[in-house]
Amino acid sequence: MGKYTLIITEKPDAASRIAAALDIEGRGKRNVDRGVPYYQAYSDGNLVVVPALGHLYTVAAKNKPRGGFPIFDYEWVPRYLAEKGASRILVWLKVIAKLAENADCFVDACDYDIEGSLIGYCILKYACGGKEQNAKRMKYSTLTRDELRESYNHLLPTLDFALVQAGLARHEVDWLYGINLSRALTSAVKKNSGQYAVLSTGRVQGPTLKFLEEREKTIGCFVPTPYWMLIAKIIVGDFALDAEYEKILERKLDAAQIIAECKIGKGEVDSVVGEEFYVQRPFPFDLGALQSEAYRLFKYTPSKTSSIAQQLYLNALISYPRTSSQKLPPTIGYKDILGKLAEIQIYKKQASELLSKPSLKPNEGPRFDSAHPAIYPTGDLLGNPLENAERNVFDLIIRRFMAVFGEPAIRQSTKIIVAVNGNKFHLGGVKTLKAGWIRLYEPFDQIKDVLLPSLSVGQKVTVKRVVVKTSFTKPPPRYNPRSLLLKMEKENIGTKATRAATIETLQDRKYVCGAGNFSISELGFEVVDALTKYSPTIVSPEMTKNLEKEMADIQEGKVTKESVLKNAVSILKPVMSKLKANESVIGQRLSGTLQQVRFDEKTVGACPKCVDGKLIILRSQKTGKRFVGCTNYFKENKCHATFPLPQKGALKRLNSPCKSCGSPMINVRFGRRHSWKLCLNPDCPDKKEAKQ
Amino acid sequence: MKCKVCVRETEEAGFCSLHLRAYRNVLEKFGAWRRASDLGWMEYLVAIQKNSLTGGWAKEVVEHLIKDENGHVE
Repeated sequence: MGKYTLIITEKPDAASRIAAALDIEGRGKRNVDRGVPYYQAYSDGNLVVVPALGHLYTVAAKNKPRGGFPIFDYEWVPRYLAEKGASRILVWLKVIAKLAENADCFVDACDYDIEGSLIGYCILKYACGGKEQNAKRMKYSTLTRDELRESYNHLLPTLDFALVQAGLARHEVDWLYGINLSRALTSAVKKNSGQYAVLSTGRVQGPTLKFLEEREKTIGCFVPTPYWMLIAKIIVGDFALDAEYEKILERKLDAAQIIAECKIGKGEVDSVVGEEFYVQRPFPFDLGALQSEAYRLFKYTPSKTSSIAQQLYLNALISYPRTSSQKLPPTIGYKDILGKLAEIQIYKKQASELLSKPSLKPNEGPRFDSAHPAIYPTGDLLGNPLENAERNVFDLIIRRFMAVFGEPAIRQSTKIIVAVNGNKFHLGGVKTLKAGWIRLYEPFDQIKDVLLPSLSVGQKVTVKRVVVKTSFTKPPPRYNPRSLLLKMEKENIGTKATRAATIETLQDRKYVCGAGNFSISELGFEVVDALTKYSPTIVSPEMTKNLEKEMADIQEGKVTKESVLKNAVSILKPVMSKLKANESVIGQRLSGTLQQVRFDEKTVGACPKCVDGKLIILRSQKTGKRFVGCTNYFKENKCHATFPLPQKGALKRLNSPCKSCGSPMINVRFGRRHSWKLCLNPDCPDKKEAKQ
Repeated sequence: MKCKVCVRETEEAGFCSLHLRAYRNVLEKFGAWRRASDLGWMEYLVAIQKNSLTGGWAKEVVEHLIKDENGHVE
């Protein structure tokens, strides 16, 4: 093959699709060089499509000993030089560099967003020998054949340098904050106790942890107050209805008095007010809304939804998911997509109904993303069936897409007031008159009808009894993955692409406990407390919000990358000085907590023999084998209780004891998929039963 | 000086910042409880100590106040 156009993609799946879409015969030829796949295709000339593996370059310290801080000098380097376990990148870059030698034209076909633009830019600049200024750019939102061909036929003449600059700034600012703050914490602990622990924080992690800390404090310091609600049990024909007293009562005596007044057993309808209202169609999904809805419906974490959506995109089933847009421009071809959906049995009815409308107009939200529209299905299906989770998210995206084209729903609310000896009780009902878009979104809608019997003013009703319900004010709920993501979005910290990963990092660092409802751990508490005390700027959402805005301004050409970095460093420098000056106090506090956390991790439960001791996982000094022993062994040899443990697999304490014998239980996990629960008691009846 | 309830440093009124916040809540909500049920200080403390919605730090403060005669408020 002579000279060719080298097309660079972000991931191998995208390379395969682009090669197949651009090749005149519809199939790119797959080659593999030292484990790196690339594709040859022919369109208007020879094409070679080579994928990256996400980011191949990263920011790293320049001339600074490992572990030292503060660091303000950095450079962009191949990832294999900065990260352990990234040796594969070296081969990958060699293959790309070799392919670049014979190329006479370069096209960046990475995803059209900050990250994609940065990936392409770095490869063109560093691996292809400075081709970033001459390269062209493919811009597309779906990996469908038609859109890819259209995009290739109308290449943008240059890279989007504003996006690239914004990407460079984001990575450099995040690196500066992340490396310096994390090293400050890690070093404080190391110097104080000699222990090594990965403690991290950053400009997004800090404020997010602060949200969790503030919520935990509100819950932990909460004192409820009582209030009373009165419910009148009303009988109307076959209906037994619960009518609520018009007010919430703050005095127990008042409740008792009203109950006494209502003992007459009869009531009269005082008023009936009906009101029709519209329920507007939802907006199309941006990534945040999709993550939020997938958590509500399926309890998928934001990062799980994000990776499922990415896979659906790579399979050309949906458009690019990392978007903040709530717009669906007509150019995506509403009718074509609905036409394809109408050929799928389960969407046939809804899609055909929409196609019969004289015109299609989606209900768009206010948010706009210059790079991509809102998430929409391409209308295509895969040959192979999707896995359950993928199918759920795909189905959700399709139904939401159809719902945004539906008619507004019309509902009617009814409020009936029943007077019982002068005391007013309310009955509330709601009925759907015209389902509109709700039918298109079923079964994912949240709308339920509450039906009331027909009642008229002056009508007498039987009041069986009035009951009092004592309640207490409640603390706010703990954040869950959905509400934390929404909070981050509302406060504008992080980006659509990074928020889910930030939440995961907080879990990995053990700052946060629980998978559903997050509570902040002791360690998380200490970290955020230390940062609040010695560098409050770092945990302030304001600081991050302002930096986010500045970085968005780079994208719009309002400010330069250099000025944003200068500002970021000017905020960071005094923070680092203060952390350094207080290193010993911070180290002392964090070391104590870390020690406790590590002890808790090893603790399995209470010792069944001596009762006041704790069972912990230990290793024999003689044999190196692990076992469970009692802490009282170390106190004058008081307790000799020991239990054997399997020597392989990761161990984790289970909170609930054995159902048969009440002994502590642990979970033993092998690899990602295999795990089993083990009761520590060798004489557990369950084990004997299993043996027999 | 250490907090009356935990090992953290005292901020005000003998409490660390966390227990101080909880203590202030305990004091503040007494009025509402007294109006609601005509409870005395000690009855109030016992009621919120038993209540599952009372936060952990608030309960620690309540336990301390129940033991501490000087913490009596009327």
